[in-house]
Amino acid sequence: MHARSLLYFLGEALKSAVRHGWMSIASIAVVSITLLILGSFMVINYNVALLTEDIKDQMQIVVRMDDEADEQAHRALQRALVAHPDLVEVRFVSRDEAMERLKRQMGDQAFLLAGYAEQGKNPLRDSFELRTHIPEDIPRVAAELQEYAGVAYVDYGRGVVEPLFQFTGIVRWLGLAFMAGLAVTAIFLISHTIRLTVYIRRKEIMIMKYVGATDWFIRWPFIFEGLMLGFVGALMPLVVIYYSYLAAAQWMQLNIRFISLVPAADIMSELIRVLLILGVVLGVLGGSISVRRFLKA
Amino acid sequence: MIEIYHLYHQYGDDQMVLRDINLTIDRGEFIFIVGASGAGKSTLLKLFLREIKPSRGTIKIFGRDLTRLKNGEVPYLRRNIGMVFQDFRLLQDRSVYENVAFTMRVTGTAAREIRKRVPLTLELVGLKDKLFKKPSELSGGEQQRVSLARAIVNRPAMVIADEPTGNLDPATSLEILNLLQEINIRGTTVIVATHAQDLVDRLQKRVICLDQGYVISDRERGVYLHAR
Repeated sequence: MHARSLLYFLGEALKSAVRHGWMSIASIAVVSITLLILGSFMVINYNVALLTEDIKDQMQIVVRMDDEADEQAHRALQRALVAHPDLVEVRFVSRDEAMERLKRQMGDQAFLLAGYAEQGKNPLRDSFELRTHIPEDIPRVAAELQEYAGVAYVDYGRGVVEPLFQFTGIVRWLGLAFMAGLAVTAIFLISHTIRLTVYIRRKEIMIMKYVGATDWFIRWPFIFEGLMLGFVGALMPLVVIYYSYLAAAQWMQLNIRFISLVPAADIMSELIRVLLILGVVLGVLGGSISVRRFLKA
Repeated sequence: MIEIYHLYHQYGDDQMVLRDINLTIDRGEFIFIVGASGAGKSTLLKLFLREIKPSRGTIKIFGRDLTRLKNGEVPYLRRNIGMVFQDFRLLQDRSVYENVAFTMRVTGTAAREIRKRVPLTLELVGLKDKLFKKPSELSGGEQQRVSLARAIVNRPAMVIADEPTGNLDPATSLEILNLLQEINIRGTTVIVATHAQDLVDRLQKRVICLDQGYVISDRERGVYLHAR
């Protein structure tokens, strides 16, 4: 494409968008609203993902040692754990350390533990605290470790971990399904809006064909127009989401302190990429799909 | 310029619209194609523009066989043919100037050339003073002049007019035909499909009469011949 043609097509696309002002506003509104819903859902999804990651990160397996296990059994177990391919972190917690931790956790009530503090009276066991590469592997790995020599029992929050994984799985799939549904709806709405614009301009297209315009010459301005409308349509939800997110983050910080949100800058850089690309792609697709029917006539 | 041999055309399974047409039209001719509604005039014009392909037979324009022309080549064929319609087909939201300039842009003409040639062409059809009017501000005759200017601005080898005076009063119709004659005198082949008997009879050009898909007469300096 010559630079001259490119300028001409851009000019035509701009003029056409202005000339059919109401249709352009309708197209932009459709893009904006669908991308706003999509973007909001993405924001929620990111934060749910962050939250579940947070929770997952805190999950660990605790292997309690058999009281009879000697120094050698300890070392053998530690070697086996370190060599285990699914484990990332292996931390030994001695029974004394465990007692100290318990005291700290009990705070004011720590005096209740006074009788157990003496040497030989500590009822706690030596243990290993473990993390897996993939949190979802925890139940399987725990069952495996149960069979190791020197292990008394294995703790991992049985009955809590499984429903949590199920829930986060459902949330993620629902989010993806919802976003896919929205994207399809957006393409449908945008192509219909643009098809209506093309329908209004069918006479112009027909005249262009009579005077010897090639199909691409007719198509390009529609594509550029779709691109522009899609781009502008994506900017609006970005601005709205940015300011709403800042307000929401501020509110959360004041009111629900234990939940941390994904930083606005991180989420926006992702959203800008996704929404702008999506807006432009939707616009271009809508523009080129809808002009096709009239080119054939 | 146009050669047609044993051409037939049929829409779907319906009756034949054109039957065994044999015609030769030379460069620089002025031709009327006449006939009642349904005689096949419009179908013949559509064949010239390669809007449709004939069911049978051969049609050659500028030496090219239109039955073998690829779809991608059609725009280049049409750049050599200026079209004028009964209903003008102007873009209502653009000025007279824009309506004509548009045709040149489509063919990739440089802006400087467009700025030079559009006013000249509009002057030729007598619209020098109405460059920036919208079609709705013009009379029917003036709108048809814009459409004429649009048809000739790319200097096509041939102008085809489909009932160009169908929506105009007799005086204006005559003006339009006079313009078409002027265009013809400058060397452009002009083909006019029309019902307007008095104009045809007055101009004494070659007249091809169609009836029920047949050419029933083809005469130099002819008159409008009605079907028997």
